[in-house]
Amino acid sequence: MTSTTIAHGEPLLQVRNLDKSFGGMKAVDDVTLDLRAGIVTTLVGPNGAGKTTLFNLITGNLARDSGEVEWLGQDIAGGKPHLIARRGIMRTYQDLRLFDSMSVWDNIMSATEYGLLPMPMSSAARHRRKERIEEVLERTGLSDKRDTRALDLAYAERKFLSMARIMATEARLWLLDEPASGLDPNSYERFLKILRDDREAGTTICIIEHNLDIVIGISDRIAFLDRGRLLADAEPDTVLNDPELAKIYFGDQS
Amino acid sequence: MEAYIFNLLNLIAIYGILAVSLNFIIGYAGIYSLAHAVFFGLGAYTSAWVGLNVTPSTFVTIPAAMLVAAIVSLVLALPALRVRGEYFVAASLGLQVIAVTVFSEWKSFTGGIGGVLAIPPVNLFGAEIYQPREFAIVSVIALLIVIAITLALVRSSFGRNLRAIRDSESAAASFGKNVPLIKTVAVVISAALAAVAGALYASFISFINVESFMLDTSVLLMAMVIIGGTGTFLGPLVGAALLLILPSAISYLSFLPQTEIGALQQIIYGLGMTLLMIFRPGGIVGRRSGT
Ligand SMILES: Nc1ncnc2c1ncn2[C@@H]1O[C@H](COP(=O)(O)OP(=O)(O)O)[C@@H](O)[C@H]1O
Ligand SMILES: [Mg+2]
Repeated sequence: MTSTTIAHGEPLLQVRNLDKSFGGMKAVDDVTLDLRAGIVTTLVGPNGAGKTTLFNLITGNLARDSGEVEWLGQDIAGGKPHLIARRGIMRTYQDLRLFDSMSVWDNIMSATEYGLLPMPMSSAARHRRKERIEEVLERTGLSDKRDTRALDLAYAERKFLSMARIMATEARLWLLDEPASGLDPNSYERFLKILRDDREAGTTICIIEHNLDIVIGISDRIAFLDRGRLLADAEPDTVLNDPELAKIYFGDQS
Repeated sequence: MEAYIFNLLNLIAIYGILAVSLNFIIGYAGIYSLAHAVFFGLGAYTSAWVGLNVTPSTFVTIPAAMLVAAIVSLVLALPALRVRGEYFVAASLGLQVIAVTVFSEWKSFTGGIGGVLAIPPVNLFGAEIYQPREFAIVSVIALLIVIAITLALVRSSFGRNLRAIRDSESAAASFGKNVPLIKTVAVVISAALAAVAGALYASFISFINVESFMLDTSVLLMAMVIIGGTGTFLGPLVGAALLLILPSAISYLSFLPQTEIGALQQIIYGLGMTLLMIFRPGGIVGRRSGT
């Protein structure tokens, strides 16, 4: 993982003219977007707008048709998912994709290790990793569930485990695919606190959410996607006060 | 009778090694191979050839057997593991079919259909071990070593990687895991351990031919793993013991008409397997469904 320093608010990841079609349908259509260091960017838009597809193109889960993805000035488009992840770009999935047969602890542990061979680790490093996982368990409220199989967790717990895995890594950029959907108010408060704390710690975060109200308080920037096209990328107030976007977003209710 | 018991024990230990090494990929990596008998055979033929032409020392024959099986498994794993799971099953079936042809035709290495005769027994520091009772010590120790190796792997970060990949390949990759590489290494380890069983088998029976390494053996091994319980520590051993003992146990049932025993044996065997999978889908040792 590189440690190149980027000033707060400067672009960390730059998407340039990215295109992806499925059959004849343009799922991502000429999207150009910066994810800026140390802030929370929220990607909103109706269902099927291409938000998840955009993540998949950034992380290498899908191959782009054309366009560039630059990470710290280097082109990473077309790279393999595991190599992109190792650069410090990690993600969650809308359908979670937990390691269902493994315990909560092993899920988190497994997110932090990718070497083929067991890494020789000093006992101090081992201890630090253990403390880090303990802290993540605490923050996600999963401390009591550490030995529970992921499959046996309740809905909100599963969402937090998905967060916990990414929190335990040293990723600089988090791509979170609808992490808040379906959370009850208490869980939602916990979720917001995690985001605030990690933003404070310098993590760059991009959240997909199709319900704008949910993320309005935490977003530093809002990017609006509709039918594959980026219609806006601005401060929350600007986006919210744009009557055209409101029309698309809230439907024609007037 | 005593020889019979020890023969059975040796076979259970040898098939136990095969089942444990197959369970390593089925149970922990979710890779279903129908080519395990190929690596069993490669181990047997290689160790027989080395034993007859180079040195009878088991410290040479077994590593040679492992090496050859590992290399051939790469041929299967490298292309097949880059695609989805079902294709690996198909590719392994293809390898199994090709291997049977090669084993039957490559006379200088496998003796063709006739097989290889007079294979030297296990030879440890010049001491030959061919009595079933003594051989049992060797085979059981080999089984324990194979179990210890797989347990250590499964409990290490490598094992966690395998299980993570089995549960979600895409999520595993998203956390930096090189999925094809990890799966390939698992297949290579599994093949090399199967070759240990092949080497022991060849030196114990002293005669091998292609019939021991055909598709039905691969299917039997998979049945041992699934019936015993995939992804469990004891499952493959229980499965191996059961499927080796059951056929002869059935033939001892005195109330069965002796003329029909062969057919009845097959029916009881098949029925038992089907019922077991209905009532204990996780295998004998595996967790019950829904828990
Ligand atoms: N792998 C795929 N193959 C074919 N069509 C896809 C694939 N992934 C997404 N799509 C289509 O692309 C469009 C955008 O989907 P997606 O990015 O999942 O939307 P969002 O996450 O904004 O709800 C949808 O019409 C969806 O059906
Ligand atoms: Mg989506």
